[in-house]
Amino acid sequence: MSNELEAGRPLSPHLQIYRPMLTMMMSIAHRISGASLAVGFALLTWWLVAISMGPEAYACVAAFFGSLIGRALLLLFTWALIHHMLGGIRHLIWDTGAGFSRTSIEVLAWATITGSIVLTILVWVVGYGIMGVS
Amino acid sequence: MVEFTLPKNSKVTKGKSWNPPAKNAEPGRWREYRLYRYDPDTGENPRVDTYWVDMSDCGPMVLDALIWIKNNIDPTLTFRRSCREGVCGSCSMNVDGTNTLACTMHAEDAKGAIAIYPLPHMPVIKDLVPDMTQFYAQHRAVEPWLKTDSPTPQKEWRQSREDREKLNGLYECIMCACCSTACPSYWWNGDRYLGPAVLLQADRWIEDSRDERTGERLDDLEDPFRLYRCHTILNCTKACPKGLNPAEAIASLKRKMVERA
Repeated sequence: MSNELEAGRPLSPHLQIYRPMLTMMMSIAHRISGASLAVGFALLTWWLVAISMGPEAYACVAAFFGSLIGRALLLLFTWALIHHMLGGIRHLIWDTGAGFSRTSIEVLAWATITGSIVLTILVWVVGYGIMGVS
Repeated sequence: MVEFTLPKNSKVTKGKSWNPPAKNAEPGRWREYRLYRYDPDTGENPRVDTYWVDMSDCGPMVLDALIWIKNNIDPTLTFRRSCREGVCGSCSMNVDGTNTLACTMHAEDAKGAIAIYPLPHMPVIKDLVPDMTQFYAQHRAVEPWLKTDSPTPQKEWRQSREDREKLNGLYECIMCACCSTACPSYWWNGDRYLGPAVLLQADRWIEDSRDERTGERLDDLEDPFRLYRCHTILNCTKACPKGLNPAEAIASLKRKMVERA
C-alpha cells in the first residue's frame, strides 16, 4: 500500500455523526466545569485582595458581587464547584472498580446532575437564610 | 490532536436518491437508508446516497438491508461482512449514530431513515470499509499471546476453574473496533493511545493466571498516553455489541498499576 494512496484517503465522520449520550456529555461537562473553576477562583482572589486593601476597594468589589451579573456569576461558580466535586467522587468510585455496569453508569450520571442542582440551590438558600439579606 | 472538523477532502456532500418509491406505494413497506459513499477511483469527496429497501422482500437486520441494496439496486456498494451472526466482527459500522454490528442490529430498533457511516475517525478505503491497519498494529503491540518462562508442560498449561472465570468478559472480544472508534480519546490521540479494544485485550493476558510476564506487560502500559488517555467517557462500554465492558477492564488495569507500586 503506497503512502500516496493513504494520504488521499478521507477521514470518516466522527463528532459530526456520533449520537450525543448522557455519559459522554457528563465527561465534557466535567471538563468545562473544571476549567470554569479557574475563572471562579480568580473572582475569589479578587475579593480576598480587596479585603486586604481596605474599605474602599472592598466596597467596589462588594458592589460588583451584589449586582445581578455578579450574583449570576457566583451562582454559576457554586454550581461548577459542586458539579465538579460530585464528578470527582464519581471518578473516585470508578477508581475502586465499582459502578461500571450499564445501569450504574446512567444512575451515577443522573445522581451527579440532580445532586449538583439540589446542592447549589441548598447552598444559596442557606446562604441567604444566614445572611438575612436580599 | 483534537480537531473537531473534518479535513477538506473528507467533508461529506449530498449524494443522490437511487430508488424513491412511488407516491402511491404501500405505507411502511419501504425503509429509507442513507449511506456514506466514497469512491477512491474518482477522487471526489465522500457523499451520502439515499436508498429505499423493500421490507416485504428483506430480512430484519441492518446487514440484510445492505445486502438487499447491493443485490437489487447498487452493486458497487462496498462493505465488509462474513458470519452474519455477531462472531466475526467484520460488519462493524456506525448505524443510527452509534457503533455496532450491522448483522446483530434490528432495523426496527432505529426510528425513521437509517444513517450508516464507516467506523468514526478512520481512514476510508471505500464506502463503509475503513483502514484498520493501525488498530491491528496496536493489537500486535500488546503481544496478545501466552508468554511463559517455565518449561512447557507435557500436556496443557493447567488453570483452575476460578482463574479461568477471571477471563470471562474479556476473552469474548471479537476485535470489531466498535469501542475504540467510539472513543473521543482514541479519535484525538489514536496514534499514541491504545484505545479500549486493545486495552481490554491487554487486560485479558495480564489477568491470565498462566501468563508469566504480567510485570513486563504492565510496564509497557505505564505511559501517559498508551493507558492513561482513558478518561472514562464510557462510549466504549455503551457501544460494545458483545455486551463487554472495556471501561471496566481499563479501570482494572489502572488499579493493578497502583496495587503493584
